[in-house]
Amino acid sequence: MKIVIIDYDVGNVRSMLNAFKKVGVNPILSNNEEEILSADGVILPGVGAFAHGMENLNKYNLVNTIKKYTNTNKPFMGVCLGMQMLLDESEEFSQTKGLGLISGKVIKLPTKNKSHEKLPHVSWNEIIEKRTKWNNTILKNIEQQSDVYFVHSFITDLKNEDEVLSTTQYSNYEFCSSIKKDNIYGCQFHPEKSGEIGLRIIENFVNICKENIK
Amino acid sequence: MNKIRVIARIDVKNEHVIKGIHLEGLRKVGNPNELAKKYYENSIDEIVLMDAVAAYYDRNSLSEIIQKACEEVFIPITVGGGIRKIEDIQIALNAGADKIAINTQSINTPEFITEATKIFGSQCIVSSIVAKKISDNKWEAYTDNGREPTGKDVVEWAKTVEKLGAGEIMLTSIDKEGTKKGFDIELNKAVSEAVSIPIISSGGMKNSDDALELLLNTNVDAIATASTLHYKLESISDIKQKLTLNGIKVRV
Amino acid sequence: MSEKLEAYYGLPNEVKFCKKCVISNQRPSSTIEFKNEKGEKKKVINFNEDGICSACVYHEEKEKGIDWEDRDGKLRELLAQFRSTDGSYDVIVPGSGGKDSAYTAHILKYKYGMNPLTVTWAPHLYTDIGWKNMQEWMHTGGLDNILYTPNGKLHQEMTKNAFHNLLHPFQPFIVGQRIIGPAMAKKFNVKLVMYGENQAEYGNAIEENTNPIMNMNFFSSDDALSMKFGGISMQDYIDKGTYTKDDFAPYIAPNKKDLIDAGVEVHYLGYYLNWDPQECYYYAVENTGFEANPERTEGTYSKYSSIDDKIDPFHYLTTMIKFGIGRCTYDAAQEVRNDKITREEAAYLIKKYDTEFPHKYFKEFLKYIDSTEEEFWETINKHRSPHIWKKVNGEWRLRHTVTKDGTDD
Repeated sequence: MKIVIIDYDVGNVRSMLNAFKKVGVNPILSNNEEEILSADGVILPGVGAFAHGMENLNKYNLVNTIKKYTNTNKPFMGVCLGMQMLLDESEEFSQTKGLGLISGKVIKLPTKNKSHEKLPHVSWNEIIEKRTKWNNTILKNIEQQSDVYFVHSFITDLKNEDEVLSTTQYSNYEFCSSIKKDNIYGCQFHPEKSGEIGLRIIENFVNICKENIK
Repeated sequence: MNKIRVIARIDVKNEHVIKGIHLEGLRKVGNPNELAKKYYENSIDEIVLMDAVAAYYDRNSLSEIIQKACEEVFIPITVGGGIRKIEDIQIALNAGADKIAINTQSINTPEFITEATKIFGSQCIVSSIVAKKISDNKWEAYTDNGREPTGKDVVEWAKTVEKLGAGEIMLTSIDKEGTKKGFDIELNKAVSEAVSIPIISSGGMKNSDDALELLLNTNVDAIATASTLHYKLESISDIKQKLTLNGIKVRV
Repeated sequence: MSEKLEAYYGLPNEVKFCKKCVISNQRPSSTIEFKNEKGEKKKVINFNEDGICSACVYHEEKEKGIDWEDRDGKLRELLAQFRSTDGSYDVIVPGSGGKDSAYTAHILKYKYGMNPLTVTWAPHLYTDIGWKNMQEWMHTGGLDNILYTPNGKLHQEMTKNAFHNLLHPFQPFIVGQRIIGPAMAKKFNVKLVMYGENQAEYGNAIEENTNPIMNMNFFSSDDALSMKFGGISMQDYIDKGTYTKDDFAPYIAPNKKDLIDAGVEVHYLGYYLNWDPQECYYYAVENTGFEANPERTEGTYSKYSSIDDKIDPFHYLTTMIKFGIGRCTYDAAQEVRNDKITREEAAYLIKKYDTEFPHKYFKEFLKYIDSTEEEFWETINKHRSPHIWKKVNGEWRLRHTVTKDGTDD
């Protein structure tokens, strides 16, 4: 089974690699179209600015590649910035276009009272199931209100509530913490940095890829 | 209110974990990778790995340790000590670090923070501030792992680093560090009231009573401890339990 | 270079560095300070045929050959002989409240059940942190102390002479420091005096370290008037007219016979307990309220060693000038032996800090020795031994360094 982690000079890929290794898979790091299209599962990692991320995806000609891949219905997971870029656009710095695979936009996490709502949101926080049930997703068998690790200042504002896989509370605000649209998954949090729970989520993704092959 | 993070601070010299007092002294207390793994398995929320002697030897040499740590530890790892160039940050990130702590270089060249955050993102850059009390409600920032005074006021410097783009502040009290006499409450209060980026408090924790005192009286977001863990004064689960019992939310 | 360079002070002509630590063969052994006069030939640390210094050799023996349980037993036996039962003091611990004396006094009282009286020979000029630590030694450490401050006028004059005649400003201080233990013991009817470490740790003759008892010649004399201070005898000071013999009371070593009759014994705790100066630091912080200096001490990387006297940095400056050995070398050599840093790290630190000039208290020092900057440098430069220093483009540089980048390396 072949898992590809997209390498576009954005983000810490080593942790992602190690996490997959820990669950028994040896992923390939690549930005080669053939490699990506022939994968059984693809991960788009990323941290930092939306514009910079999109710039690099364009630099490596990955925008179309990703769209082609997701059209094949094979499992895909975007993590943190990788999830944000799935959306139509972001308002960070200036309007920047995203991959447009999920309807909605990326906005800044709203905060009211500065001293109690600091940005970036750096914290372990709970994920909660909403309309979409977790079985048969990457959150299969994960307990409600499990803590996972977040570090971000921007969030995704989805048009379609059914595509929200989990939400998380930030002070008084409930935001989308993970996404599922058919074969496309997104995690605002970092499963590769979320201890044992995170490793199980990654394992779930691997299992979905395996199931899909059959 | 976010969950409070309980962080293990591991100071390293060559292949040893060391523990000083007032950031002084190189007593060996263990192996970095063994301790990192142990704390991870015992539910610590994050690990901070500091090269304790980078300033002396004009080097930074944690790459191997970070690489190994990343293979077995799946929580955020912050690395610091001797980060002087953009290259150093890249190397540490490539080795597997998630966040980079910077002190000396940023005081000498404040633009370094801005440059780093532009390239790597704010969430990746932690401003490490090392503070020594000089009079009532006044602290001076030190560099070179607490050896060289700078004449800079800590609270003012904290505000500056926020403006420059740092994602978090790791605030270490020289006066309390290694003493196991509790955190410097006034220091943490003063800085947390002055900025709106997350603050990790470091220096002075003996056990959860100290953590409670800090968390109930200030607005910090995370506590970092070394002595408590390296000298086995209290287990991570006991610390978290005590905090929970007192109304402080933590990751279980 | 075939010309043989003159070596002052009778120092060995060839400069060598220990292969294990970083000390050089120019390091002088302890002398009987009140006999110290100009032109005296120095005894130096010994290097064996493998190029290893005696301090390292001693350290290895310490690591392997010594049964510390046995030594602890010996200590307990010794203390049992002297322990008082009527509440009187039973051991004198000389010291400043620095990490070593803090450890010594506290452990003797609280672990070994003795009743120590600490005695401090006052530094020339207290630093704030030195004073604070001394006070904390009492208040937090729970100990009794007598602070003995000698007549400042005389002390300053002697120090001035010592600086200009011997380039050894600490010489008068050391005379008093060595004497105070036994002198106070005699005064308080206490028989036991306990110092911290033995200088063999640092390179005196090893035989000295198989004996826990300090050589009586260091602190007793039979002829007070011939004692020399700054190279000038007591008699000469008196003859000049400003001082009388009374003024020298703090420096007059107890009479040997009196000490023997009184049964005074001076021991080193370092003989009985495995001495680690860094661990003394930890102990002192945890038990006697000791605090390291907030900033790095000039001339070295350390923050907790010898921080109570503003004149202290100038002692090390003079050892650098006379022997090519600065404060950093002393600190680093000890830490290499105690396995805190590697030899490479020590060499790196020495290169970085050893020749650093102590600016912080320079003006105060000049005032203390009543000299101008010109006079200061004149004396300094007069004492640079040609076999250690070379003037290159108007700048003085070491001929040999442990990092092999001296002018002659």
